[in-house]
Formats: sequence, structure tokens, C-alpha cells
Amino acid sequence: MQRQSANKRPRANPLTNPKVVPYVFVAPFVIYFLLVYLYPTIATIMMSFQRIDGPTQVEFIGFKNYERLFSRNYVQALQTTARYAFWDVVVLTSVPLLVAVLLHSKLVMFASFFKSLFFIPALTSIIVAGIVFRLAFGTLPTAPVNRLMTLLGQEPRDWLMYAGTGNLVLIVLTLWRWMGVNIIYYLSGIQAISPELYEAAEIDGAGAVSKFFHVTLPGIRPVLIYVITITVLGGFSMFTESVALWQQNNPGGVGRTIVGYMYLMGFYKSNMGMASAVGLTLLVLVLGVNLIQLTLMGFFRKER
Amino acid sequence: MQAKRYINYRRVVLTALATLLMVLLAFFAMLPFAFMFLSSLKPGQEMLRNGLSLTFEPGVSSFTNYAALNTYRDGIYWLWYKSSAIIMFLQTVIGLFFGSLVGYGLAMYDFRGKNLVFTIVLVVMMIPFEILLLPLYRMLIRAKLTDTYFGVVLPYLVPPFMVFFFRQYVLGLPRELLEAGRIDGCTDYGVFFRIMVPIMIPAFGAMTILSCMNSWNNLLWPLIVLSTNEKFTIPIGMGTTITPYGNAFDVLMPGAVMAVVPIVILYLFAQKTFIAGLTAGSVKG
Amino acid sequence: MKKLLSLLVVLTLLAGICGAFAEEEPIHLTLWTFQELHTQLYKEMLEKWNANPDNPKLDIDMQVYPYEDMHNKLTIALQSGEGAPDIVDIEINMFANYLKGDIQLADLNDIVEPMEDHLVMSRFNNYAKDGKFYGIDHHIGACIVWYNTEILEEAGVDYTTIKTWDDYHEAGKIVLEKTGKPMCTWESNDCWSIYPLVNQHGGDWLTPDNEVRMDEQVVIDTLAFMRSMLDDGTAVACPGGNHHSEEYYGWMNAGGCASVSMPFWYLNRFTDYMPDLSGKMKVAPMPLWSDGGHKSAQMGGTGTAVVKTSANVDVAKQWLAYATLSFEGCVNTWLILGFDPIMTDVYGSEEMKAPNKFFDYYDDTIFDMLKTVLDDIPDTCLTENFPAASDIVRNQMAYDLVMTDKSPEDIARDCAEELRSQIF
Repeated sequence: MQRQSANKRPRANPLTNPKVVPYVFVAPFVIYFLLVYLYPTIATIMMSFQRIDGPTQVEFIGFKNYERLFSRNYVQALQTTARYAFWDVVVLTSVPLLVAVLLHSKLVMFASFFKSLFFIPALTSIIVAGIVFRLAFGTLPTAPVNRLMTLLGQEPRDWLMYAGTGNLVLIVLTLWRWMGVNIIYYLSGIQAISPELYEAAEIDGAGAVSKFFHVTLPGIRPVLIYVITITVLGGFSMFTESVALWQQNNPGGVGRTIVGYMYLMGFYKSNMGMASAVGLTLLVLVLGVNLIQLTLMGFFRKER
Repeated sequence: MQAKRYINYRRVVLTALATLLMVLLAFFAMLPFAFMFLSSLKPGQEMLRNGLSLTFEPGVSSFTNYAALNTYRDGIYWLWYKSSAIIMFLQTVIGLFFGSLVGYGLAMYDFRGKNLVFTIVLVVMMIPFEILLLPLYRMLIRAKLTDTYFGVVLPYLVPPFMVFFFRQYVLGLPRELLEAGRIDGCTDYGVFFRIMVPIMIPAFGAMTILSCMNSWNNLLWPLIVLSTNEKFTIPIGMGTTITPYGNAFDVLMPGAVMAVVPIVILYLFAQKTFIAGLTAGSVKG
Repeated sequence: MKKLLSLLVVLTLLAGICGAFAEEEPIHLTLWTFQELHTQLYKEMLEKWNANPDNPKLDIDMQVYPYEDMHNKLTIALQSGEGAPDIVDIEINMFANYLKGDIQLADLNDIVEPMEDHLVMSRFNNYAKDGKFYGIDHHIGACIVWYNTEILEEAGVDYTTIKTWDDYHEAGKIVLEKTGKPMCTWESNDCWSIYPLVNQHGGDWLTPDNEVRMDEQVVIDTLAFMRSMLDDGTAVACPGGNHHSEEYYGWMNAGGCASVSMPFWYLNRFTDYMPDLSGKMKVAPMPLWSDGGHKSAQMGGTGTAVVKTSANVDVAKQWLAYATLSFEGCVNTWLILGFDPIMTDVYGSEEMKAPNKFFDYYDDTIFDMLKTVLDDIPDTCLTENFPAASDIVRNQMAYDLVMTDKSPEDIARDCAEELRSQIF
């Protein structure tokens, strides 16, 4: 009833007061943030100082979890994750950018067809895709990729059993899955660049390479920042891909990432306190790397 | 004349090369699907016997696995399908509603604390969700939301990536529209729903695809929330056929193929809007 | 007095009959498992239970989860104190996690102790703490060896003459020479090759007091033996890394190598995944170590437990006892699941001789062979640090042994160090 009458006299309703309106718009996010992020984050921080053995068995143990953090397994997980994240960022920012530029260049026939096609892998469940990749990169000489190697006159390999090649398979899987998404992000940026800029560059006698570095790259800087930021996050918190390829195994230290190690601690070894400490180091790492990246990319000195 | 012909020639070669490169990439993108589909037509035993192969054997390949999917554990696959669809629908509709509202608010208005809220959006986008699982689950228990679809949707009510995206999109819209709407006697909410939402349709298209994709393939959180087998989503259900002691390929492969189909259809339908939306929303820093 | 008594008897009888006829509301229980196969046994035993009018009617909701995730879910549910099932299958590697601190599982002594003389009690010690039993296994998991007789015949090797591991190695050299095929595979990322051999040899990873035994001489000797087989090619790295990978099944099915040593429950991997070997595989006891040790080792398992906070702990226990500790239940464990039952009474009984797919695949002498090793199977020591130990064996020890040139001494020492650093 109150609502109805308020609708008739909008000025009288405090909710329609122009000073209040913006807060109503953003209120859902603020509530959501407090509930879904802030509270659990604080709870995780607290748990990282505890030893938890059951619903009622919680003991405050100070910094013990952190002191115990740096085991061989943890360092190995850090290395695995860092190696993956590095190549992930390198490959998943550059290859899709190249493809996007080509798709935009009008050199490619059926560009929009390819654009749609590249996106489709992102729609699949990683679980089954992972099995396909695992079998494709199998140990036996009869596995598809090893057959290809033999065709190319190379020795068959034990792809998933070594850190280097295992990481390569991970990157190939990630590229397969996310290439299309990044292409579309890039295309959106490239298409927003005014054609006049290109024309001006052409008048100045710029070649394709020069145009790319002087017009395209600066033009898509915001998109690039966005793509790098989410790729860094995705790279450091990668978990499902490695589970899909190796389950709980960790041959040569390639199968276990930081999130994987957090799982191992929290669930396999039932040590939630330690798992929380591991999780927080991941948080610090992701925030730190992204902060550095954003600063280098000049995100904070952006035009107002 | 001479020079022009030379340019054309060069262009033809470049076009051929570029297109060839795309064809190779397309091959790479589609190959796993080909493996998946061809395997789904063979008895699971065949998969173990000969590994992955890109062969179609008339004698061996058939759609029997698909028929068996209907009867597997009393047709539970379609219940998983239904759960996945319900969760996808809920998560997308709620996410779009709140995401657009907040993104719009952040872009259209100037108010105290605006930068703080936006900074929080950015920071939250960088928090790995995995580290929050246990406390979130404890919260869910207290709220008696375990084993409910709403519990699955809860952490995605106002997805930060949507807020971010809608903000970017609305930044490109003229603020005069708001003034004009106010003059016409609309409340600010009226302006949003009647004037802005129709203009933002491409953005909605883009976010619908991304949200559906995230929800449809989400594994971790639904798994923790749901405990009744009949309420499982497809990824969890598929997970039950993968055990350390051997996988039920007869169910897994056709199940995976059937799971991709709807989302691809949705994508093909929405992609025009989708790609237009991403372009118009061109992500700004 | 007599009249009164007979009246009472009549009344009780009447009450009993009425009770039987009245529509009884079944008691609802929830059961979690990660192995769909187990539900076949449970369903069968539930039907039989409900068919007996003396039993309270039960309605058991059986939920199957992905392996890893079921344990994650259980951990979360038990730690947060809500959402746990009444009955749950817990994998042996994970079990120790649930015996920490304030134990959330019900002790099963009242159903296990009366049966003690009929059961292989060492299986129950895996799921016990401070004299209390918390889980019931479905099988012994005695390790045996499967020989591919087709390959052995081609090489002219008679597997029944293989008595010691040295014989096994020598036979392997002949097989390799005559057929070009390896004698066996060692896993590079799982524990089913190393742990049975070490355990049978008299070693283990931990003492009951959580002292690390990984760098003992017996471990080094076992690793050295395994390495020597790798060095001359009689053993190779397992395709796919372990004996449960698709690649291994396919390769083995195509006659990839001459033998494999696994726990008894591996019987149904052959029937299910390697059908082409039907009639060719023969089972035999593990070869013995010439310097001591045991006839076999017990490996793997699932401890079925009752959750303490369940509203129906007692009836859940009774049903579980019926399903897993009764003669009938144990016979069905064999007939339905193909496991070696934990009840000694069933071995040699007529019921066990009923034909099933396992007898068709192998032959009906399986249990005669198995009986010869049951008297000498060592305990395994599953303390709360076992999950950590098992992780190190799978991912460090097995990998270093099979995929690198690291010496057995170094492998054992580094693994032991790593485990020590994780115990606190």
C-alpha cells in the first residue's frame, strides 16, 4: 500500500531521492560483498591460525601453520603454478591477439565463421575434455599425439610424466579452451579503434607491423589489461585442468598446483588450518602479481 | 598497373596463408570434439582396447550408448540435465538482474564511495573463489540452504565480472538519457528498466552466454552444496562415472556430447547479439 | 497365575501380529559411497533385511559421489557438524583423517566383537583406534599375481615353479628373451607396486607411534630389487602410470606383458576391462622373499562406517552388521562384487562355489589358492599420518624409482625426510 501511494508522489519517497538512488543501485553488491566475500575471507584468515580437528575441536596455534608452510611439496606446487601461470599469460595473451588481428584484417575468408568456431571449446566441461587430452597425450606409441610424432620422424614421448612436457600439455589444453574467449575480448577492443587512426598511420607510411604497434596495441590497452588480469588469476588458481589430466597424482611434480596443494592439505590430509594458510598465500600472490602488472601497464595513471 | 597487380597478387597469397592458418586452428579447436563424438558411438570397451582413434567403424559404431543413457540408473541423466538447466536459469537471471543494476549504478551516477565500491569490485574479481569454500559452506548450513538450488546460486548472486562488464558498457551510454527520462516523469528506476535496459540488450546477450557457460560447467561449488543424487548437475553426475578404478565410458562420452549440445545451440542463437554486445561494451580500463 | 500367563502370551502374540500387519513407517537412512558397485551389494542386502518381518523396515537412500569429492564432502560435513549421512563408505587411505581428535564416527565394537572368531581381524585394525573399531571392510585385499599363460607358454615358463621373487626375475629374463615382452609393470604414480612388495617383505611406512620407517633397509632392498628388474627390462614403467589407467587396461588386454601383482579385488578389473584375456589368466600366490617376510599383503579397502551424530545409530549398525558381517553378506560380497570376504567361515563353503563371471574368466580353484596364503598376511599400519605417507609413496617414491636414475638409498632417504617434515 505504501509503495503504491509513493509511486504516485515520487518526490516523497526517500528511495527516489536522487541522493539515495545510486546507493540503492549498488546496495546489492555491497551486501553480497559483505556476505560472500568479506566474512568468508576473515573466517579463512582466522582459520589459518587454528588447528581444526572437528566441529568443537578448534585450537589457536599462532603462526605454526605458516612456519610449517614451506615444505618441499609446497615449494614444488609454487614452482608448478608459477611456471604454468607464466606460460599461460604469455601464450593466452599473444596467440589470441594475433588471431584477432588476422580475423579483423579482412585477410581471412569466413572470418565470422571462424570466430564462432573458436569459441565453442569454452562451452565444454573440462572434465571430459581433460580425459580426451589425457588419452591423446598418452604414454603408449599408439596414442594419437605419439603417432603424430612418429609420422614427423620424432621419438614418442611420455608427455604427462615430466614437468616440462606436462606443462606444455596443460598450456595446449588451456589454449584450446580459452583461446576463443580471449579472441572475442580482443576483437571487441580492436573494432572500437577508430578507422581514421589507421588511415592516418597509412598516410604516414606505416606498414602492417608498425600499425600494429602504434595503433592497435595502444588502442586495445584497456582490453589487454583486462585479459592479462583475468589470465593471471586463472593461471595462479588453476586446478581443474590439472585434475582432469592427472587426478590426484603428481608425476614429477607437474600435477599439483597451489589450489591442488590446498585441497591436499584441507581434504586429503584433513588439515583445514594449513589449507587456509596456503589459500591466503595464493591470495597474496595473485593480488601482488596483478598489482605489479597493473602498475606496469599504467592502469592506475588512467585518464579521468 | 604493374604495381596494382603486384599488390593483388601479394594479397591473394596473404589471404590464402591467413585462411589456411585459421583452418588449422579450427581443426585444433574441433579435434577433441571429433574424438568425443566418435568415441561416444563405440562400446566403452573399444575405447580401452584401442585407445582414442578418429575412426568410424560401421560394424561397431552405433547410437546404442545414447539409448543406454536414457536407462542408466533409471534415467538419472535427464534429472541431472534438469538440475543443470534450473541452476543455469536461476543463476543467469538473478546475476543479470543484479549485475546490470549495480554496473549501471556505478557508471551512471557520481556519489560518495563510488570509487571504493568499484575498487572492491576489482579486488573481488581477483580473489580465488576456492579459498572461501569452507566458510561459505558453514554459512550455508546455518541458513539451511544445503542441498538446495538456491544454495548453489548464492555465491553468484551479483557476479563481480558482470558488474564490471555492465559498468564498462554503460560508460559508453549518454548520461543525457537519464535527464530526458526524468523530465518525462520517470523515476530513476523507471529510466533504468524502461529506457536503459532495452539499449543494453547486447550487453545482456553477452553476459547471458558467459553466465550460462560458467554455470553449466561449474563443478566445485554445486558438488559441495548438493547431496541428493537426483539433484546433481551434469558435471557432478559425469564425475560419478569417473572413479580411480576405471571409467564408465559408455555413459561418460555420450553424456558429454549431450551436455555440449544445448549450450552450443544457445550460443549459436545468441552469438550475433553476443559479439555485438562485447564490441559495443568494449572493455575499458 | 497360569491363566494370567497364557493371557499375557496371547496378548503379546496378538500385539506382534497386529504390529506385523500395521503399515509400518520405514526408518530412513542415508548412505554415501564413491563406488557405484557397492550399492549393488547394499541393495541386495537391504531387500533381504526388509523381507524378514523381525527387522525394522528400512529405507536407505544410497548416494553415489565422485571419489575424491565424497571424502571432501564428508570432511566438510563432519567438521561443520551438519549434513553428514548415517552410513558412509570411507576409502582406506582417507580413513585416518576421520579418526583425529573428537571422532565423529560411531564405534562398532558391539557388532564386531561377537563375530571376532569368524573374521580376519587384521582388516579391522586398519579402521580402529584405542581398541575401538570404526569401520567394516568388504574384503581382505590379499595380494596375488596374475599370469598371462599364453605369453608364459610361448616362453616355455611354468608359472607354478615360480616360488621366490628371484625365480620371478629369472623367469622374466626368459620371457623377455623369448617373446620380447616384459614380465611386469611397476607403477610410476601409484602405490600398488611398491607398497605390497615392501609390506610382504616385512616393511611399512610408519610405526603405530608415527615413527617413519621409509628409510629402513627392507625398503631399500625392495626398491633395489624393483630397480634391478627395470634395469634389465624385465619390468617396465606402467603405461598410463598405474594399473588403473585406461592405457594400461588396453595394453594389458592386448597381451602387453606376462604378469601383474595386485590385490584380490583386481579380479573384476580383468573381467570388466580386459575381456580378451578370458581363459588366459591364471592366479597364483605372490612369490616369496628369500630373506624373510610374509606370504602376501593386504592392500586397499573401504571402511564402511556409521556416523555418530546419526539419529538412528543402532539400527544403522544392525543393518550394516547384517550386510557385511553375516555369512550371507560375505558370500554375496564374493558373488556380487568379486571380493575376498573378510569372514573365514565362508572359504570352502558350498555357497561360495556358485558359478559367477569370475569363475568363468579364471577357473574355480581361486579360493583353494587363496586359502594357502591367508594364514600369513601382515598388518598394515594406518596411523593418522598414513594419508601423508601414501601421498609421498605415490608421487615421490614410485616416480623416482621408475622414472629417474636416483639410487634406492637416496629415494628412501628423501622420502623419509619429506614424511618426517610433514608430521607434527
